[in-house]
Amino acid sequence: MVQRLLLAALVAAPLATFASPFTPAAPDTVGTTPPASRNQAPTESLPWYRPRHVLAQTGGGLGMVSVGAGYSLKDRLDLDILIGYVPRKYAGSRLSIYSAKLLYSPWTLPLGKTQKWAIKPLMVGGYLSYTHGTLNDEEPNQYYRGYYWFSTDTRVGPLLGSRLSYALPPTAKGRARNLSAYYELGSNDLYILSYVQNMKGLSPADILTLSLGLKLDI
Amino acid sequence: MRSFLRNFPIRTLLPTTAALLLGGCEMLEFSPNDHRSPERQQDLTAKNLARLTQSPLPAGDTLRFVFTGDSQRFYNEAEDLVKSVNQQAGIQFLIVAGDISDFGFGREMRWVDDQLRKLKVPYVTVIGNHDSVGNGRKAYEEIFGPLNYSFTYADTKFIMTDTNGREYNFDGKIPNMSWVSSELQDASTRRHVIISHVPPQDEDFDPAVREAYITALRNDPRLAFEMNGHRHDFSIGEPFNDGVTYINSYGFEKRQYVIVTVWGDKQFRLKKVQF
Repeated sequence: MVQRLLLAALVAAPLATFASPFTPAAPDTVGTTPPASRNQAPTESLPWYRPRHVLAQTGGGLGMVSVGAGYSLKDRLDLDILIGYVPRKYAGSRLSIYSAKLLYSPWTLPLGKTQKWAIKPLMVGGYLSYTHGTLNDEEPNQYYRGYYWFSTDTRVGPLLGSRLSYALPPTAKGRARNLSAYYELGSNDLYILSYVQNMKGLSPADILTLSLGLKLDI
Repeated sequence: MRSFLRNFPIRTLLPTTAALLLGGCEMLEFSPNDHRSPERQQDLTAKNLARLTQSPLPAGDTLRFVFTGDSQRFYNEAEDLVKSVNQQAGIQFLIVAGDISDFGFGREMRWVDDQLRKLKVPYVTVIGNHDSVGNGRKAYEEIFGPLNYSFTYADTKFIMTDTNGREYNFDGKIPNMSWVSSELQDASTRRHVIISHVPPQDEDFDPAVREAYITALRNDPRLAFEMNGHRHDFSIGEPFNDGVTYINSYGFEKRQYVIVTVWGDKQFRLKKVQF
């Protein structure tokens, strides 16, 4: 229990550090007009389908390693598509996990004087995943209709995290590029259901998952 | 490089890093099917049986155990069951007749163990159909142990076997009758008790193996009774009218369990307890 409280406090600590100097003073200013050096509008117009970033992460129920690419809208809304891998050793069979994450980050806060570092203190969103390669996977006629009400392979869940970015030199065409590291706390539909029905027998920390990842603008 | 480090607000990153190191390892789940578990939650069957062996039944005492099943997604009830069982005097262990988990996830099996490890007595389990979903069998093997095993306590051989035939698409091999028969033929103990999840009279038991199973039980002179879960409700009877008694456990959500007392060659008494 002490460990869980400590964990919660430690995760919240960096958010609190930034919340105090910025939020009460001028939250709107900070939120809507980030420094020009970080958020220059692209000088060339990219085709809509071209991914704006690539990413790699571990955990979060989306793979031991998952890699993917994604799109950004106004540096606030990110849609990432990932393919993950779990070796047999850790899950009983080799799994591939296909997932999509959607994350909204209302604030980007610059750090330090150089304008090189910035933090998105809050990312909130969710994911949908499909796992391929499970062993006992509902073959036709194995069960009658409704025998198991839940899907063994499709999961959906919420995400909450933070992201720290470092501004790399812009591209030759003048597009700003960041390298970011992020963490996300998440859960899934079945874990949440288990908790909601057992608030005495389970604690919120029991159902949390953690992802750690890197995202590079391209 | 040095200049970013100087400007880098390291004091804000340090707590995050520390948090991730503290709680991160177990939370960094690769998939809900990821069955990696801390050492204390691996091989629980072997660990519980080792504890049971350390407290053999004193001469003259009666064999007495708690029989329950289907803990799946009833964690509040699991907590209350533990409190109730811990008040019972003179019991030696507890049996969960399968369906430890609901979705076959390792994390669910560990949540049940988080509660049941607070029991004063050891507990043992047998695999259920819900524990077999997805990669559940592998999680069960990692966290609990073999799907078929037996142990001897108080001159009684307890035979625990996987009867979840539907989860194998009725392949004609579940239960594993060559293993079950060889266990039943062991004449080194006074009594036998056989425990599995799906009862043979159930539609989830492989119909191709049913006759072989009930015949083997009927022909075992040492068999005291057969026990199952799956139906979430208590029952006792002779469904095949062949002199073999079949007992079904309450599910955890029924907030009742049974205390089984066994003596003599095959005599037994059941006591229902509400919690």
